[in-house]
Amino acid sequence: MVNDLGRKLAKLAFEERGADMLLVMREEHGNVVPAMVPKGEDLGDVRLDIPYQLITILENIYPWVSKGRIAIITRRCDEKALAELVKRKYVDDKRIVRIGLACSEDQIRRCRCEDPVPSKVDLGEPHAAAKGDELISRLEKMSQQERLEFWAGQFKKCNKCFGCTLNCPVCFCDDDCVLEDRTFVAEPSVPPGLSFHMIRSYHMIDKCIECGECERSCPAEIPLLTMRKLLAKDMKELFKFRPGDEKTVSPLNTTLEGEQLEDGCDEC
Amino acid sequence: MAEFSPTILAFCCNWCSYAGADLAGVSRLQMPPNIHIIRVMCSASVKPEYVLKAISGGVDGVLVLGCHIGDCHYMTGNHRTAKRMPLVQKVLKEVGIDEKRLRLDWVSASEGEKFQKVVTDFVDEVKQLGPNPMRGVKW
Amino acid sequence: MARVGVFVCHCGLNIASTVDIEKVVAYARGLPDVVVAEHNLYSCSEEGLSSIRKSIEKNKLDRVVVAACTPRTHEPLFRKTCELAGVNKYLFEFVNIREHCAWIHIKEPLSATDKAEKLIAMGVAKARLLEPQKETESSVIPTAVVIGGGLTGLTAAASLAAQGIDTHLIEREEKLGGVLGDVEVISPEFSKSGDLIGQLVKELKGSRHAKVHLGAKVVAVSGFIGNFEVTVEGKGKQEKIPAGAIILATGAQEFMPKGEYGFKEMPEVVTQLELERRLASGNVPRRAVFIQCVGSRQPGREYCSRICCNASLKNALRIVRTRPDSRVSIIHRDIMSYGTASERLYREASDRGVVFLRYGLERIPKVVRKKDGVVVEVYDETIDEMVDLDTDLVVLATPMVSREDARDLGKLLKVPLDKYGFFLEAHVKLRPVEFATDGVFIAGSARWPSSVTECMGQGLAAAAKASIPIRRGKVVVEAITASADPDRCAACGNCVIACPYEAIEIVEEHGKRYAKVNETKCKGCGTCVAACPNDAMQQRGFTSQQLSSMIDALIKSTEEET
Repeated sequence: MVNDLGRKLAKLAFEERGADMLLVMREEHGNVVPAMVPKGEDLGDVRLDIPYQLITILENIYPWVSKGRIAIITRRCDEKALAELVKRKYVDDKRIVRIGLACSEDQIRRCRCEDPVPSKVDLGEPHAAAKGDELISRLEKMSQQERLEFWAGQFKKCNKCFGCTLNCPVCFCDDDCVLEDRTFVAEPSVPPGLSFHMIRSYHMIDKCIECGECERSCPAEIPLLTMRKLLAKDMKELFKFRPGDEKTVSPLNTTLEGEQLEDGCDEC
Repeated sequence: MAEFSPTILAFCCNWCSYAGADLAGVSRLQMPPNIHIIRVMCSASVKPEYVLKAISGGVDGVLVLGCHIGDCHYMTGNHRTAKRMPLVQKVLKEVGIDEKRLRLDWVSASEGEKFQKVVTDFVDEVKQLGPNPMRGVKW
Repeated sequence: MARVGVFVCHCGLNIASTVDIEKVVAYARGLPDVVVAEHNLYSCSEEGLSSIRKSIEKNKLDRVVVAACTPRTHEPLFRKTCELAGVNKYLFEFVNIREHCAWIHIKEPLSATDKAEKLIAMGVAKARLLEPQKETESSVIPTAVVIGGGLTGLTAAASLAAQGIDTHLIEREEKLGGVLGDVEVISPEFSKSGDLIGQLVKELKGSRHAKVHLGAKVVAVSGFIGNFEVTVEGKGKQEKIPAGAIILATGAQEFMPKGEYGFKEMPEVVTQLELERRLASGNVPRRAVFIQCVGSRQPGREYCSRICCNASLKNALRIVRTRPDSRVSIIHRDIMSYGTASERLYREASDRGVVFLRYGLERIPKVVRKKDGVVVEVYDETIDEMVDLDTDLVVLATPMVSREDARDLGKLLKVPLDKYGFFLEAHVKLRPVEFATDGVFIAGSARWPSSVTECMGQGLAAAAKASIPIRRGKVVVEAITASADPDRCAACGNCVIACPYEAIEIVEEHGKRYAKVNETKCKGCGTCVAACPNDAMQQRGFTSQQLSSMIDALIKSTEEET
């Protein structure tokens, strides 16, 4: 039976915004699972309190849903993930109906989220951004060696389950991940070496929208979101770029300009 | 104990820096023997994964050398390198590896002396940093 | 399992005096898949090559590593030896132990030997993973398109047509001749430009290989070397011209001053080309002042236009030669009458009483209206004094600037421009009339303000270059191109954006989107390879597995040492 939230959602998605289907999390037999519900069907026991990245599901099923408009619950981070998908033409923006969800204070605190309010709030109450990441301030005080010891200690817990890549909404090549090959990750062992985590960090540097799904998915509880946030900060400092906006282009996809151009060699 | 002798990997582009290294050789410009060159067609083909793999595997320093900006044989190839490598340095920095273990520089085909200087300076710098903490680490 | 042969070269004493060859050869024998390791006094000598060839045959080698000098000079030689021995030339790997080792570590033979071993280990590691390659060939449409019907374009088109190559000359105006059409006589020999252009036009019109399109504009260009399609629009109709090569000769235009020196406000102030037109119609002023470098060699437009000094010298001489009563001054910042013939003009002008005054950017001359004509007030640096020059005409020698629509044309042809909007050649000395984009050539003032002689020289050079692929009838692409594995590719588009040659596009086949490389357009830079997060994009001869194995070999040989 549909709950109150479900009724509200159905009205928003199908009646007001003309969607043909709705992608939601709902409880089935005691488990909360993602579900694509066509218009007119019972939405069931809809749950919004489970912070799962539905954009990942959208990306995976989109090629199989050839027509119709898909409504999806978008927190701020989902909006940004969606923008990265649209930018790469993985989904057609015209077929997506957004239903903005403002995250709870508790969720914001858990994500150390600095940008929690979606562009349009349909559900939930907007709350202020988190004060920052306590681990970042601790890491910043550490010496280089201490930092390496910290991260090596964390990465040694990795059991290479690939939860971080599979659940990531902006990790696009999950069928054959380079981290599964020996080409760059020489060590076949568990835990994988440092290259595994460094390469994944580099791959995320112009895509990560800091949703924290990697960290939530990690059974070893490695503070992966903190690493993402550190590198997001570096990216912003170096190139003034933040992922999550359809209209901005990653600095990795542009040539140098203006002051970054030095003079060529005069001798040749 | 013998003085620390770093193992250094260098990527040189076929058109400028590899030729610059050749010129250094032809001119008999002496430099420390720590550097091992992999020839690539353009510095822009150097995958950041190579650098991260090498450092993770214990290589003490990685040098990426391309044509000067504006002189790239492939027009804007080295622009990409100029964007990628600073970000790779940040990845190293954040996990606690000195970002100075990766250096990006530009050496033209006519700059044998610059090649010598870049190599000598980099070897000195990596010697200062000491062995890569990842050397011999088995996971 | 690969069968690798390693051949270490002594290079006489060049390598052997520093590197312990015997030791290195013994080391190489112990490397994985190495079935034979030998050394030659000179690997590149006839004797060395035949010994390598024999060894390949005898040991049934399928990978060949030569440790010697730089691949930049000797690689073709050893590749050929491999081919002669029945081994695909892409199964050859060169290790540089001379320039990059023996010669730069002369005083450290032990370290140099050690390093040579590591370099060979890296080379062998790569060689084991090398794959045979087939070079791709594509045919060439035996037609050339020349864009621009000025002197350069005319020269190039006439040359191509004379070689029997079908040539289309595209000119957007209704007449041929370009800027030179406004110039009556040519410096330094004062010949008639009309004769020169007339001769070229006659040649073209008389040739069955040339077709001139007047009032026609290039609106689209697609394809690549050997197979371009140039879409031309004019007089309300569109024509698609298939072509093997394209020469860009769109020239430059005269910079029109924006209010400087009373231009447009005073009828006495004209540009050089206006003076040319007046002189051609017999309107010769008695008094004239030329002001040089108007709008050039100053912040924002730093370059020297090179041809304006000679133009002023020529026109000053035309005035003083026709009117002995004339008074002509040239106010300049430096006189650039370069070349063997032009310096003579400068001397003759001085001898005939043309006054040369030098000004600086700090105090530029002023043109002031007086009751009976105009006065140019100039501070002469040499005598440190203000000089007033009464005159009937002020001629502003402005630079040639790039065509307003050069950037649009650059986009159509996918060729670069410099910061002033002039087209940028592939290499200023080594490839002066070529673009980095194969099959597209550049000549004349579209590249840089050029004199008549230079335009013609470049026009001929570009025609000669453009005729090479057309005459050969095919283009061969070295097998170092990139390609994406459709199964791995996630169609993220990074490679499409990264490619400097627009050689990659995302295609859809059987519902699967993936990146596809056009091999004829691909120049083998590998930029796309590094842009690919999933290792789907690989460059032949430089695959990630090959290069990674070199890194592994370096790590392994370092570990063994300690």
